[in-house]
Amino acid sequence: MEGLFLRNITAGYGDYDVLTNLQLEVPARTTLVLLGVSGSGKTTLLKTITGIIKPKKGDIILAGKTITQLPIEQRSISYLPQNYGLFPHLSVAGNIAYGLRVRGVSQEEQKKTVAGLLEFMELSGYENRSVTELSGGQQQRVALARALAVKPKLMLLDEPLSSIDQATKFEVATHLKNLFSNLEIPIILVTHQYEDAQFFGAHVAVMVQGVIEQAGSYDELRAHPKTPFIKKLLIPFTAGIK
Amino acid sequence: MRAGAHRTSMIILYALGSLLLAWFLIIFFYQYIIAIQKIDKILPVFANPRILSALWISVSSSCITALLSIFFGVPLAYIFAVKNIRYKSLLETLMIDVPQTFPPVAEGIILFMMLGPDSPFGINIAYTYLAIVLAKTFVCTPFVVSFAARKFRETQTTGADITAKTLGASESQVFWTIFVPIAFKDIIAGTALCWARGMGELGGSLIFAGIIPFKTEDIPTFIAVNSSALIPALAATILATTASLLALLSFKAFTKERTTWKGFF
Repeated sequence: MEGLFLRNITAGYGDYDVLTNLQLEVPARTTLVLLGVSGSGKTTLLKTITGIIKPKKGDIILAGKTITQLPIEQRSISYLPQNYGLFPHLSVAGNIAYGLRVRGVSQEEQKKTVAGLLEFMELSGYENRSVTELSGGQQQRVALARALAVKPKLMLLDEPLSSIDQATKFEVATHLKNLFSNLEIPIILVTHQYEDAQFFGAHVAVMVQGVIEQAGSYDELRAHPKTPFIKKLLIPFTAGIK
Repeated sequence: MRAGAHRTSMIILYALGSLLLAWFLIIFFYQYIIAIQKIDKILPVFANPRILSALWISVSSSCITALLSIFFGVPLAYIFAVKNIRYKSLLETLMIDVPQTFPPVAEGIILFMMLGPDSPFGINIAYTYLAIVLAKTFVCTPFVVSFAARKFRETQTTGADITAKTLGASESQVFWTIFVPIAFKDIIAGTALCWARGMGELGGSLIFAGIIPFKTEDIPTFIAVNSSALIPALAATILATTASLLALLSFKAFTKERTTWKGFF
């Protein structure tokens, strides 16, 4: 059973449940765009999948294995936070090799993997640079390379385009889309912007108040929104301007 | 406010700041001005074995205090910053804020009652070198704990620890490869202040370790007992303040140079 399966997940903070009986399936080789407004439970869902929050109820199954109670470091899930979470004290190569280093992979193997990923991400020549000197797009590529180095079974991206300036957004998004199409794993991209759903749009899930309200392709959702709220969520805010 | 009033308020602002700076600079450099005036009397005192012994006791006990502060203080800072423990705010206040405002003499009395001749634990280390170190540790360690905890908290808010865990790092690896290297400069800065504070600590040592020349007499206690004989006291003051200044400047230069450290593992 490849892919990610969430079965009846209830999770939250203390007595307050943010996610209620949530169901979600993301098959392998699929990029799911999880769309929702602030407070809809997107971050809680990411935290639950990564293991930061343990669900009160339900199961998380990844690549055929139940990971609900596993600690974060044993889940094989790469997580890209909104700010990319690069380690400022390490160089580009040091960041990419980090996951291999803590797993005790040999220096030689680390160098080989890093060189391959640098080339793949068009970052050759940047290996000794400090990550703080890089542009937003370059930082994102380093973070992606670091995430891929450990060969994860699932990749989670939290608002990956929100820190990218408008001028380079299309270029970065295209790079991401091409990269995702080459990966064999499920990918969840969380966003609150309808444009991201439109761009990556084959599989979109709209999250409202802790549940997946509707799922389908962007075009399907746009054509047949289940609620007026989803209809509003999927159109540009400028649409009402005459 | 009109342009003229703006200008006047800025002049007052700069004047107030400059006055305070001048006052501190005068106090610091006045010792050297007096020393130059009395150079023929001061110079022989620097070779006084009692002063040299006091300087050695001050420097060495401050170094040991600084090392102990890192050894115990960094783990405690990690617990304060990362772990959810009950009464954390109260414990942090007791550990970090109270020792810095606590009268050192009172601390000396408590230590003397606890670990002196009438110790309920049967441990008597009063009037020993160890007593100096313990007295200094109480007032100096909070610098390391507070500097390290602040940076650990900042690191945690960036999510670097969670990212490291998703990449396969255990909690111990996250501590050694993320928290400590990122906070390295702050730990060094806290240690530098801890050491410098140790060089000036008087009250606790005075009560708990006493003033035994060549055994427990350090520079601050030497100055305290020789304040009527101004020349030896001035010589000791110059030694202590100059050593502290040089050490703090060296630490700053070191941390400026040392920008990256990969950490262990």
